[in-house]
Amino acid sequence: MRDSTNFGKWALVRWSSKWWPGAIPLAALWALAAWTSTAPLETELAGRSTAGLKSVLLDKSQIAVSGRDVTLVADAFSEEGRHSAIAAIEAVPGVRLVNDETRLVPAASPFVWSAERDVVRVTLTGSSPMPATKAKLLQAAHADLGGVEVVDQTNLARGAPAGFDEAALLLLAQVPKLKDGKVTITDTKVGLSGMARELGGRETIAAALKNLPAGFSVAANDIKAPPYIFQAYKDPVALTLTLTGNVPDSNAHAAIVAAASRKFFAEKVVDNLKISLGAPYGFINAAVPALGALSRLSTGTLVFTDREVKLSGDALYDGAIGQLRANLTRELPQSFQLKADVTVKPAAAPVDATVCQQLFSELLGKGTIRFEPKRSSLDPDSADLLDHLVETALRCPTAHIDVAGRADADGDNATKQALPEKRAQAVVDYLVKAGLPASRFTAVGYGSNQPVAANDNDEGKARNRRIEFIVKEQQP
Amino acid sequence: MIFLVTFDWGWLLAALLLGFAMGWIAVVHRGHGVSKPLARWLAVLVAALLAAALARAVPGRPGYWLDLGLSMLGLYLIGCLIGSLLRNWVLPGPADAS
Repeated sequence: MRDSTNFGKWALVRWSSKWWPGAIPLAALWALAAWTSTAPLETELAGRSTAGLKSVLLDKSQIAVSGRDVTLVADAFSEEGRHSAIAAIEAVPGVRLVNDETRLVPAASPFVWSAERDVVRVTLTGSSPMPATKAKLLQAAHADLGGVEVVDQTNLARGAPAGFDEAALLLLAQVPKLKDGKVTITDTKVGLSGMARELGGRETIAAALKNLPAGFSVAANDIKAPPYIFQAYKDPVALTLTLTGNVPDSNAHAAIVAAASRKFFAEKVVDNLKISLGAPYGFINAAVPALGALSRLSTGTLVFTDREVKLSGDALYDGAIGQLRANLTRELPQSFQLKADVTVKPAAAPVDATVCQQLFSELLGKGTIRFEPKRSSLDPDSADLLDHLVETALRCPTAHIDVAGRADADGDNATKQALPEKRAQAVVDYLVKAGLPASRFTAVGYGSNQPVAANDNDEGKARNRRIEFIVKEQQP
Repeated sequence: MIFLVTFDWGWLLAALLLGFAMGWIAVVHRGHGVSKPLARWLAVLVAALLAAALARAVPGRPGYWLDLGLSMLGLYLIGCLIGSLLRNWVLPGPADAS
């Protein structure tokens, strides 16, 4: 009974009018499908969207999927970043609509970043321009600081100056040199405060800051350093001069040790100095005269604390106190402050002429009174020996003393006679200036007729050029 | 759309098979059909829903459910058509006379 009308339009309309009962199970199927597939679909799309955003630089990004619609909440670092984030999600297959709830990362003005070190940790605060920079700085802080705890409290913000990364890395590298303190970048200004870990830390940091990227400048460098200490102790019993503390460099070291050996005629120099940066300006010009002042004490201590010079001890006789104080005040560079606490050593018991002669000979056996070359002026480095001679002379008040100058075999007779006498006179003048009566001394020039060593070498000649003290019992 | 097919292919296939079965039965079904005015209204309703889906006017989950429902409906109807035509072609029966 099949005919052409069966396949006609009307047959199709008739059949289709009876398709409706299937709509009931279809609706049930639809409800079931909606019920079971929605959550997996959302999970799937969220995963794909997150993967799609990987290459886009965002902060605080959150993806919420409802059905096939994706809502993106994020902070972008530029308008371009926002657009590419949205485009990346739109490109995910299956996503129907993208709700753009992105915004630009807030701009910081001024752009401030800082790292603060306290006893237990280093805290990074302020703004970082990019997540990569933030991570890089945190990593650098961990690397620079070894085991110290690092806490990163920085927020991301726009508006960092060009070269921020290098500047921040450079400042972070200075943090290990601080015991405590803070380094700050405020736009292109750099500020530092705190206490350096070691002597010279301040100088090392200042030197490092010269490598700041172009455009950056140091607004404040208030790094303090531990005090620069230099000490010298004259021990008359052990016959030592002990040097401890710091000197700025090896030249200064050598200069100080050489000056000490020259100025202290009897003491052995015990050198415990170490080389450290951070000496106050003019340190060496202060240390050498201060050692000269210490040499004139019987026992004493010299302490440099930064620019404060403390000299304490016992002078050998009354007059020496005023002299050494005045000399040192004149010789110290202006920025140094002198605190002298010098007393006089109690006078030793008087001795007779024989013992007196013995004491003089002992002293002059240990050291030689030195003069400026070819002249009769006393070398200031001989003050220690001269003061000991004064002290001894004070112990034999009844003795008359010939101060004898002697020459080596060089030169003509007139010179050999004249210069030693002038030199002997200079020594007598020194003794008189120290408070001894001039009448007790006679300066005599003896030429070269009583050598104590051979005159055929420099060492022997130097020993022959000398001052001798010859004690005579005073005529009553 | 391709995503929807790959993700919900099971449900869509179920709708197609349901349609095929319904189409197969419809040829010999003796019950009442949908009246013409109602069919017209239904067509308008489906067209409106289709327009809303294409315009992506419905947000969130209801939007997805609408897409899913329309897709299933479409495949159901295709299934019905195939079922009816096939039944009519394979087994021309006395029902045709009714």
